[in-house]
Amino acid sequence: MVGMPHDCLANPLGAVRLTFEKAVASGYDPAVLQGKDWGTAELFRQFLFDDDCLSQVPMLSPSTLKWVQPNTLVRFRGMIQDMLGNEFYVGAYKDGDTWRTNKFADSSHSPINTSLDMQIWERRLLYCIPVPGQNFWVESLEEAVKNTHTNLISPKREKRPREDEAILGDVDMMREDGLSSEPLTTMPQTVTGGTFSNVSSVPDTEINYFSCRIKIYDTAESEMKLNDIFEFVGVLTFDPEFPVDSVDCDGFTQSICEDELVHLPSSKVSWIHCIIHRKLAVNDFLSGPALELMPNTAKDLREALVGHLTTVLGNDWVAAQYMLLHLLSRVHARVDSVAVGKLSLNLTCLGKDSMSVFGRNLKFAIECLLPFTRTLPITINYLNTISLTPKKDYNTNRLVFGFLQLTEGSHLTIDETQLQAGTLDSTGVDNARVLKNLMESQTVEYDFTYYKMEMPVDVQLLILSEGKSHILPADLVLPFRPSSVEAPLTVDEETLKAWRWYLGMMKCLSHSIDPDVQKVVEDDLVAARRADRSLGSLDFSRLLTMGRLMSISFGESHLSKEHWQMVKELETIRKERLQEI
Amino acid sequence: MAPGSPPSRNNGGPSSPYDSESSPIGNTVSTPGGPGRPKRGRRSSYDTPPQPLSGSRFATPGTTPPSSGANTRRGRGRRSSAGPTGAATPSSTDDAQPSSEAGDADEDEAPPMYVWGTNISVQDVNAAILRFLRHFRENPHQTEGKYMMAIHNVIEIEGDSLDVDAHDVFNYDSDLYLKMVRYPLEVLAIFDIVLMDMVGRIDALFEKHIQARIFNLKSSTSMRNLNPSDVEKMVSLKGMIIRCSSIIPEIRESVFRCLVCGYCCEPIVVDRGRINEPTICGKHECLSKNSMTLVHNRCRFADKQVVKLQETPDEIPEGGTPHTVSLLMHDKLVDAGKPGDRVEVTGIYRAMSVRIGQTQRTVKSIFKTYIDCLHLKKTDKSRVNAEDPMETENGVSGKDKEPVFEDKVEQLKELSRQPDIYERLTRSLAPNIWELDDVKKGLLCQLFGGSALKMLSGASFRGDINILLVGDPGTSKSQLLQYIHKLSPRGIYTSGRGSSAVGLTAYVAKDPETGETVLESGALVLSDRGICCIDEFDKMSDNARSMLHEVMEQQTVSIAKAGIIASLNARTSVLACANPIGSRYNPRLSVIDNIHLPPTLLSRFDLIYLILDKADEQTDRRLAKHIVALHFENPENSEQDVIDLPTLTAYVSYARKNIHPKLSDEAAEELTRGYVEMRRRGNFPGSSKKVITATPRQLESLIRLSEALARIRFSEWVEKNDVTEAIRLLEVAMQQSATDHSTGTIDMDLITTGVSASERMRRENLASTTRNIIMEKMQLGGPSTRLLELLEELKKLIPGEVHLNDLRNALTTLSTEGFVAVHGDSVKRV
Repeated sequence: MVGMPHDCLANPLGAVRLTFEKAVASGYDPAVLQGKDWGTAELFRQFLFDDDCLSQVPMLSPSTLKWVQPNTLVRFRGMIQDMLGNEFYVGAYKDGDTWRTNKFADSSHSPINTSLDMQIWERRLLYCIPVPGQNFWVESLEEAVKNTHTNLISPKREKRPREDEAILGDVDMMREDGLSSEPLTTMPQTVTGGTFSNVSSVPDTEINYFSCRIKIYDTAESEMKLNDIFEFVGVLTFDPEFPVDSVDCDGFTQSICEDELVHLPSSKVSWIHCIIHRKLAVNDFLSGPALELMPNTAKDLREALVGHLTTVLGNDWVAAQYMLLHLLSRVHARVDSVAVGKLSLNLTCLGKDSMSVFGRNLKFAIECLLPFTRTLPITINYLNTISLTPKKDYNTNRLVFGFLQLTEGSHLTIDETQLQAGTLDSTGVDNARVLKNLMESQTVEYDFTYYKMEMPVDVQLLILSEGKSHILPADLVLPFRPSSVEAPLTVDEETLKAWRWYLGMMKCLSHSIDPDVQKVVEDDLVAARRADRSLGSLDFSRLLTMGRLMSISFGESHLSKEHWQMVKELETIRKERLQEI
Repeated sequence: MAPGSPPSRNNGGPSSPYDSESSPIGNTVSTPGGPGRPKRGRRSSYDTPPQPLSGSRFATPGTTPPSSGANTRRGRGRRSSAGPTGAATPSSTDDAQPSSEAGDADEDEAPPMYVWGTNISVQDVNAAILRFLRHFRENPHQTEGKYMMAIHNVIEIEGDSLDVDAHDVFNYDSDLYLKMVRYPLEVLAIFDIVLMDMVGRIDALFEKHIQARIFNLKSSTSMRNLNPSDVEKMVSLKGMIIRCSSIIPEIRESVFRCLVCGYCCEPIVVDRGRINEPTICGKHECLSKNSMTLVHNRCRFADKQVVKLQETPDEIPEGGTPHTVSLLMHDKLVDAGKPGDRVEVTGIYRAMSVRIGQTQRTVKSIFKTYIDCLHLKKTDKSRVNAEDPMETENGVSGKDKEPVFEDKVEQLKELSRQPDIYERLTRSLAPNIWELDDVKKGLLCQLFGGSALKMLSGASFRGDINILLVGDPGTSKSQLLQYIHKLSPRGIYTSGRGSSAVGLTAYVAKDPETGETVLESGALVLSDRGICCIDEFDKMSDNARSMLHEVMEQQTVSIAKAGIIASLNARTSVLACANPIGSRYNPRLSVIDNIHLPPTLLSRFDLIYLILDKADEQTDRRLAKHIVALHFENPENSEQDVIDLPTLTAYVSYARKNIHPKLSDEAAEELTRGYVEMRRRGNFPGSSKKVITATPRQLESLIRLSEALARIRFSEWVEKNDVTEAIRLLEVAMQQSATDHSTGTIDMDLITTGVSASERMRRENLASTTRNIIMEKMQLGGPSTRLLELLEELKKLIPGEVHLNDLRNALTTLSTEGFVAVHGDSVKRV
C-alpha cells in the first residue's frame, strides 16, 4: 500500500494521503473546510495532463477489469445514466493527534473507533454506462493512443455487422462475444425478413453491458447532468463486503439501506473514486485535430463526402445534399418550447426492395461517420412491447434505461418500412407519442410514475418510410429517387477520419448573418408567403435552418447569398418531387 | 413526542443497531463533563463505552421507562418501571445523575444540567417550555393559553400527541425555537417530560403519553440541500411519497420463559437495539442454563415503517434526477401517507453508520441518512399543494411567510408600482410569439382572474375568465396554449380530439383489486383553480362539449352513475382554441358558422378572440424578421426588458393569493355607463331595427376583467381605468368575433342565437310579406297553393334573393301561428 511518494498511478491513495498531510501541516483544518479539496486535484491534473500520463492510465472495460488492481488509478468514459444521490462518509478522523482522511477511499485503514473525532463529508454517486450506440471505430481510436499496460482491449459495442468487416479491415476486429449476440425476440422482422439484416445493434432494452459506479467529490451539482459524457479518472475499489450485507439484515436496515447496490449483481460492484473528471463532447471522440479549418479543406471535404453519400444513396444527389445538412444539424438554441436548429429528415419511397439495399448501405455509412448512432425499426408489435423512455423503478430506486436515453449529438434512424396496419395498445400509443414529441420538440419524457419529467435532448432523426410518415412528422420529407444500385466504394480509414472530423467541427461552428443578406432573406420569405399563404413559421424555420447548415457545410460562419440561393433551389427540387407523387 | 405512547418512537435508537452513530439523547450531562467538548464529540458519551447508550433518541419518559435511554449504562438494570413521568430525564446519562429527578420535571434543587457539549441548561429549557405551554396565546383576549386548551383537548379525547406550531414557539420565545431546531433530540425530550408532567397534574389518572409533534418550521429545506451539517437538526422538507414499506413490528419489551420450570422473567426492555437474553433461569430453585425461550405473545411491539420521500418535480434542476430520502415513521405516523401523496415532513435528520456485516461490530465509514419523522402534513389530497400558485382563496394567512419570501414580495410590489407594469407583463407573456398583444392581454387577465363571489343565498359568480381563440392554422394558437399551460402550474393541457366527456370531467371506475367503484377525476376537475387548456376544441365530440356547459358557468362537475352521485368542484378557467370550420376562416360566414360551436357554449366564453391570418405584408415581414432573429441571434440577448418566467409566476400567484380588488364607486359608475353604451350602440340613429349589443353575461365578464386588471396592478380597488381597459378588451375581442358582416355593428345575437339581428329582421319581414300574400291571394279554407307559386310572388315583392328555404322558414313560422297549414309542397290557409 505504501508506494513511492508520487506514484500516482499505482498508489494514488498514497499520494492523496501525502497531500493531505502536507495540507494539514500547513494549516488546513479538516473540521472547518468540510472536505474541500486540499490540492489533490492539482497534483493529479499536473500528473495526468502536464506530464501527459493520461494514456498510461488503464481504461476500465470488461477485459481490463480482470487484471487492474484495486486502489490503482483507472479511467472510464461513459454517459451518466442515473444519479444515485449523495452519501455521507467519514471524511476525516483523528487518529490520536493526527488527522487522517478517507477521501477517495471506501474505508479507513484503522477501524473507526467511535470515540474518535470525525468529520462527516459528502460525496455524490453516479451510475455510468458506455455511451449508447457508440460505434466500433470510436473505441479503436482510443486504442490508437494505446496505453502501456494493455493487451488489446476489445472495443465494446453491441455488435457489428459481419458484412462490413471486409470493408474496414484496418479496424480492430470486433469481439463477437456473448455480451451482444442475443437477438431481440421482439423484433421478428429483423430475423426473418432479412431486409435490414444489420439491425442487430439495436435496442438493448436493458443495459446488460458494462457499467460503472462513480463517486464524485468537490463538484457542483450543476456541473454534471444526466446523459452527459464524462471521462473519470480515479481510484478503483471493489466492494467485497456488501454481499454479506444484503443477505441478512433485519427489515429496518434493509429498507433504509436498501438502495441501488443491493439490487445489483455483486460481480459488477466496482467503484471509481473520481479524482479528476472532464466532460467530453462528441468531438473528443474523434481523432485529434489533424486538420486545420480552411475554407478550401472544408469545401473539398464537403465535395468528397457528398460524393460518397451520393453513391450510397444510389446516385440521388439531392438526397445526398439533404443528408449532409441533416448530419450537420444540432439544436443550437431553445426558445420557449421550440428547439432551433433541428432538422429531421424523412426519406420516403423506400419500399421493401430498395430498403434492403439502400437501408443497409446508408446505415453503415452513417455508422462510419458519426460516433453515436442507433437504429429503431418500428413495427406495431415492437411499439407495443418496447419501453422507449427511461422509467424510474422505485423498487430498486434506479432509473431504468430506456431506448431514448441518448446522449447529446446522437443519431437515431427510425425505420418505418416494416410498419403494417394494426392496433396499438396503450403502450404503443404512448411510445408513438413519445417519438412524436421527440421529433417536434426534441424532448423525452422520463417516467417517474407519479409524474413525468421532460428532458431536453439533441438527437438527429432520420426516418425511412414508404410514404410520408404521419406518426413521425419530420421537418423535411424527401422522396428518394435512386437511379443506380452500386455497391458503395470502400473508403479508407484516413478519409473517414477526415470526414468525421469535418462533420464534428462544422457542426459546432458559430453562425451569424449579415444585415444585407438578412434583408434578402426576409424579402424572400415575405415574397414566398405572398405567393403561398399556407407557408407558416415552421416552413420559414426550416428554410433558415437549412441556410445555416448549408453555409457551415462550406465551413463559413456567415450566411451568403449563394448558399441561400442553393437552399431555395434544393427546396424547389424537393417540392417538385413531392408533387410528382 | 418521544414519550410515545407506549414505547415511544424511540425508534431509532433501539431499532437500529447502529447506534454507534446516533447520538443518544443521553447526552445531557451534569456540568462537569459537559460543556466545552466539541459538539461532534458528543457522539461518544465520554466515559461510556463506545456505543453510547442507545438512548431512545428522545429520552422519553416512557411508560416503560425502558427505553428511557437514560439510566442504564451497561449494567442497565432497567430501573424498574419508573412512573410515567420523568423516568428519564433526558439527562442522566451518567451515574451521577440517576433517575433521581424522575418525578418532577422542573426540579430546581438539582445542580444545573446542560445539554451535552453546549451551554444550554436543561432547567432553562424546561422552564422555557413550561412558560410557552402555559402562557402562549394567539391573541391577548384569550383567557387560556392556546396550548393549555389543546392539552385539555388531548386529554379529553385521549389522544396521544400534541401538535405544536413552531411559529408559535418562535413568536413566543425565539431562543427556545433555536435551541429546539439545533438540538431537537434533547429539547424534544425535555418537551415531552414537561408535557407529561403537566398532563399528570391536570389528570393524574391519565396514563397515555403525549408527544409533542412540532410542525411548520420557519424555514424548510430542499432535499437537495441537506448536508452533513444538518445531521441531528430539525428539518422540514416537502416531497412526494414514493414508497412505503410494510409495517415492521419492532420489539420493545420481551418476556422469556424457562423451558425447564416454566418461570417467566420480568419483561426485558430493548437496550441499544438488542435484547439481552438471560442465559440462566431467574428462579432460584431452577437456575437452569440456556433454558430461556422467548414468549412471543407476551412481548410488546411497536409499529414502524420506512417511507421514501422524493423531491417534487419543480425542485429538480435541469439535467438532474430527483433525490430521495428515507423517513422513519413510528406509531401513529405509520401509514399516515400513501405513495403519491405530497407531504410536508418535519423531523430530525439522522445519520447512521452501516455495519460491515450483520454479525460484526465494525462499521463502514459510510453513513446512511434518514429522517426521524415528527410530523407529517399532507398537502392537499388531490394534486396540488398549499403553496399552489394559482390559489385564489385567502386561505393561507400571511403570517407564516419566510424572510426570503418577504424579500420576494417586496420585489414584486416594487415591480407592481411601475407605471407600465401592464405593458411589461404583456410583453413578458410568451415573448417569442410576436404581435397578438390584445390576445396576450386577455390571457393575462385570465391568469390573474377575477374574484369569485358567493352569495349568502348560495348563488355564486365565478371569477374565472374563459377564453376561446379561434384562428387560422399557423397563428401560434397552440404555442400560446402551451405557454399558458407552462405558466399555470395547475393547468392541464388536453387536446379535444383525444378527450372524451368523461376524460374531461370525471368518471367512475372499478378498482381492479378491491372491486370498489371509485371516482376518477378528469382534466377539468384536476385543474380546479387552474387553467384547463383545450386544444382543437372544434374537434371535440359534441357529447364532450356539452359537459362543459356546467363547468363553465357553475364551475362544478356533477356525476351520477354506478351508484355514485357527486358534484365536484371544477373552478377552472377554460382556455380553448379552435380552427374555423374548413380550417381557414371564411369572412363571409358568421363566427358561429365558422367556429361551428353551439351558441350556448360560446356565450360562456368571456373573450373570444379571432386570430386571423391577414394577408398583410407588414405582418409577414415581422414574422420573417422574427424567425431570422430566432435562428441567427443569441436568443438570450434578443429580448430585453421582459420579466422572466419564475418572477412572472410568482407575481401571478402572489396577486391571486393576496389581492382581492373591490369595485370603487367610480368604477361601478363607469361600468354602468360602459354597459349601457354597449347596449345602446346597436341603435343606429335613424335605424328602426334594434340590435342587442351586450347581455348580462358580458357585464359579468366586464367585472371580472376589470378585477383582473386591478390585480395586475396589485391594487385593492378597481379603478375607472381598469373598467375602460376591460371594455376595450371586450370590444376588441367582440368586434372581431361578433361583427355582423351585413351591418358592421357588434351583434351579440350572433353569438347567443346564431342569427344576426339584421338576419332576423329579414326573416320577420319575409314572414309578414308571405302572410300578406296569403291573405290577399288565398281564401280561408280554399284550395291549396303550391310553394313555387308563392315564391314567385314573394320575389316580386321583396328585393334581393329569396330562396325556397327562406320561404319554408317563413311558412313554418306562420303555421305555428295557426295561420296556414303546410302539406308537403302545398300550402293551405286555415
